Amino acid sequence: MRSRKKQTEGVFLMPEGDLKRPSSPQITLLCLLFCGLLSIGLINLYSAGVGASYFWTQLRNLIGTLSAFFVFGWIIPIKRVNTYAYWFVALVCTLLLIVLFTGRVAGGAQRWISLGPVSFQPSEFAKLAIAVAVARFFSSNRQDSPYRIRDLIPLIGIVGSVFVLIFAQPDFGTAGICFLIAACQLMFIRIDIRSLAFVFLSAPIMAAFGWKVLLLDYQKLRILNLLNPNLDPQNSGYHAMQSLIAVGSGGVFGKGFMQGTQAHLRFLPERHTDFIFSVFAEEHGFWGSVVVFLGFGLLTYIALDIAKHAKDTFAGLLAVGLGTLLFLEFAINIAMVMGMFPVVGIPLPFFSYGSSAMLTVCVSLGLLISINRTNSGASKR
Amino acid sequence: MTRIHKQESLLVESRFLWASLGVFLVLSGLLFRLWYVQIYKGDFYRGQSERNRVRKIEIPAPRGIIYDRNGEVILGNSPYFDLVFIPQYVKDRDTTFKILSRLLHVPVSKFEARLEMVQGQPKFLPIAIKRNLSQHEVSIIEANKLFLPGIEVRVAPRRDYGPDVPPHLIGYLREIDPKALDVTNKATSQNPYMMGDLVGKQGLEARWESYLRGKRGYRLIQVDAFGRQTEGFEENGWQFPSVSSVPGSDLELTIDKELQKVTQEAFNGKNGAVVVLNPRNGEILASISEPGFDPKAMQNGISAEDWRRLNENTFNPLLDKTTGGEFPPGSVYKAVVALAALEEHVIDPNKTYFCPGHYTLGNRLFACHEKHGHGTVNLMRALMKSCDVYFYQVGVELGVDRIAKYAKALGLGSLLNIGLNRESKGLVPTSSWKAMVYGFPWAAGDTPSLSIGQSYNLMTPMQMANLYATIANGGKVWRPYVVNRVTNHVGETVFEHRPELIREVTEIKAENFALVRNALMAVVMDPQGTGKNAQVPGVTVAGKTGSVQVVNLKKNSNKSSDVSMNWKEHAMFAAFSPAENAEIAIAVVSQNDLVGGGGRSAAPVAGKIIAAYWRLKEERALALKQAPPSASNQQQAEAHSHEKSEKTN
Repeated sequence: MRSRKKQTEGVFLMPEGDLKRPSSPQITLLCLLFCGLLSIGLINLYSAGVGASYFWTQLRNLIGTLSAFFVFGWIIPIKRVNTYAYWFVALVCTLLLIVLFTGRVAGGAQRWISLGPVSFQPSEFAKLAIAVAVARFFSSNRQDSPYRIRDLIPLIGIVGSVFVLIFAQPDFGTAGICFLIAACQLMFIRIDIRSLAFVFLSAPIMAAFGWKVLLLDYQKLRILNLLNPNLDPQNSGYHAMQSLIAVGSGGVFGKGFMQGTQAHLRFLPERHTDFIFSVFAEEHGFWGSVVVFLGFGLLTYIALDIAKHAKDTFAGLLAVGLGTLLFLEFAINIAMVMGMFPVVGIPLPFFSYGSSAMLTVCVSLGLLISINRTNSGASKR
Repeated sequence: MTRIHKQESLLVESRFLWASLGVFLVLSGLLFRLWYVQIYKGDFYRGQSERNRVRKIEIPAPRGIIYDRNGEVILGNSPYFDLVFIPQYVKDRDTTFKILSRLLHVPVSKFEARLEMVQGQPKFLPIAIKRNLSQHEVSIIEANKLFLPGIEVRVAPRRDYGPDVPPHLIGYLREIDPKALDVTNKATSQNPYMMGDLVGKQGLEARWESYLRGKRGYRLIQVDAFGRQTEGFEENGWQFPSVSSVPGSDLELTIDKELQKVTQEAFNGKNGAVVVLNPRNGEILASISEPGFDPKAMQNGISAEDWRRLNENTFNPLLDKTTGGEFPPGSVYKAVVALAALEEHVIDPNKTYFCPGHYTLGNRLFACHEKHGHGTVNLMRALMKSCDVYFYQVGVELGVDRIAKYAKALGLGSLLNIGLNRESKGLVPTSSWKAMVYGFPWAAGDTPSLSIGQSYNLMTPMQMANLYATIANGGKVWRPYVVNRVTNHVGETVFEHRPELIREVTEIKAENFALVRNALMAVVMDPQGTGKNAQVPGVTVAGKTGSVQVVNLKKNSNKSSDVSMNWKEHAMFAAFSPAENAEIAIAVVSQNDLVGGGGRSAAPVAGKIIAAYWRLKEERALALKQAPPSASNQQQAEAHSHEKSEKTN
């Protein structure tokens, strides 16, 4: 019921022309999914953040994030995005540099920049920047033969610098996501087989190097905790353990809205951000979670479908990147919550509290709609 | 070639199929995991989440109350006020401590030290930062409660030791030994002990521990991740259960509290023991052992220094001397020798011996305590004057084994099995005993001192009182007992004592008992008797004094030259009253008495106790006559605020 109401609100806010004549079923479906997941996420945040102002702050932020959704979906054409792609990447890199030196420290890492009353997390935008950068690279460097490593050097440079900047914060999770987004986008491009072989052979060596030199102790501990959550139940394993208990105790139908003991008695850490799905699973149980799973699955499928029907390389790769972004964040976050993945700071799209993450999600959805509109209605323009 | 669906796009179309497949696989994997965690293992995690949030809080049970024979409380519980600090409610610790420090005049560091001791415990658990608050302090705290969030005055039941609680009889409580905890709990798995629990360590508290301790209750509370208590989530009508504690069973003793108090006062300043028995059934009316100790200090946790001091004291304050202390009975023993001699026809009441003040056996000289001698004495005069020479000769004629036969018949030399504190057997020497222990045969020279109760003879004060009770009742050896009845918290009787006869002395004829009783009466009632200090106006008292030289008279012929207290005589007095059909039998043993012998020191003590006994009896009879019985019962019940049927004396 609740989600329906939200949905009509969302539709009501849409520009009139599109409401009357939806150009394709994908747009309707995307809008429905967007509104549905957003509503579920907000309602869940209300329960997770009882006693704190998270829900209301998130609601206030919706004004900005929703307008970003509409601006990127209906106002800015995708060609303009292509034009300013590298500028955006440069802006994000600058912000990342700033955050590295002056950022606000929280949880042992410098992740935020404060501008007056607004504070934001540039590493969230970096995910978008990576998707845009990869798409832009291949659209402006087309070649008919498969790409070799040497052809990809500028791209590796861009992705690598973003990766290093985020990793240095240190934010292992976001850096990994950025890397994975780029990797997934590359999978849709024909790469020279010898280059691939070289990369796969050198990967274990790189991994060993990374473990020895790059990873901090707490990050190593988190990976070890995945292997055995009982290792250190009061400290690093505590998060994973409490999250598993919360999810598991939800059972088939859950404990009911606002009735989750794990969340409300504060056994769950980070319950409004990274572990917000534990709250949802505890209160709404197996079937509630299945609904969310299906929503994200459908969202990813639509993103891939849009990419498949994209008119040009930039739009197609960007759609792939955005779909990857949403699906990877979802999959990694859920896997983390259910104790299948190390505890890395990856928010759940639509659910987690945080304006930067929400803005990223809204812009991604907006861009997807924009690409789809270009696909079906290019003749119009 | 599969590439390029549209001219402009570089994307490989076949990869979309793979990607969809990948997404599908990942989603299925997540769904499977979700099913596994929420449905397959759902019950397990539900249990985990319950354990996470529910904590058990123990409610201590008050120990059973100990009543005297008239329903007066000897040892009850009192609410002890503890100042507790509940971390979850305290906003500003330092300010709180500063205020408390000013109110109670206790340095802040003391509070902080207390907190440090219990670091790491959950935040909802109160920490006692000051124990045993006075009324005044409680009211100060209550008045300032507004400024002291998280500071509370909590009430816990604890033993309330009055000034005249006999420590050895009642016993004391100490914290349970952590090492013994497991072993103890194996026996009481239904009602286990916990660290810091108080357990009975002596006397009634130890012997009746399983009845007195009660059963602790508990209540469940919900806590959050920081261990703070929170409002409960009641789902499906499920409430947090709580089980109230079950108070321990109450003991009803045979002790008369008033008489006990009088005994304590009369014996004040002496070391030793006093036992007051009812010769008709073996009830212990009063029992003290001096020096004592402070059971309150034991409950509050005694310091190592004080504990060492208690253990190193020459007079052994921790020992219950009524049953555990062995003393040579001295002249008190002469009654036994007299009975044996009468029964064996060695003497008759009129047979006389001459006392010149000393007695020679072989080349050894045995002195009488009266240097100038008692002249010609018969049994009556010999007991009355406590003539040693008379009994030297009677003893020699009887021989050690014939004396021992009757001593054993009267119950001496064996345990009474009261089942209270550690008991000593005492000692009745025989010739075979000496041959066995020393390897020498019994020498003729051993007998004279034996027959005046010195030499190897040993007796506990309890045995002494019981001996005179037997003489008083004409040959019934009752087992002394102190717990009359045990009632549980709902008033049901769970144990009731029936007077138990150890043996009937058939070896001694009733008329011989009567003869000795008569002679013993003369000891007290005759103005020349050694026990005349125990006289009580209006009632007959029979008794026998005893003064035991700790050092041989020869070595200490002029008594004044003596030095330490350890060389002073033991003063004894055993008595019963009235001389016929006695209602009270008493033994007073004053160890190394500073005042003098039995007649001078111990007899007045017995006299005071006997006088008090009759006075109390008269007063109670009078009170009963004046007030209707129902009213007096009600009054008593109110006075003790403990619902149980009182028994009348």
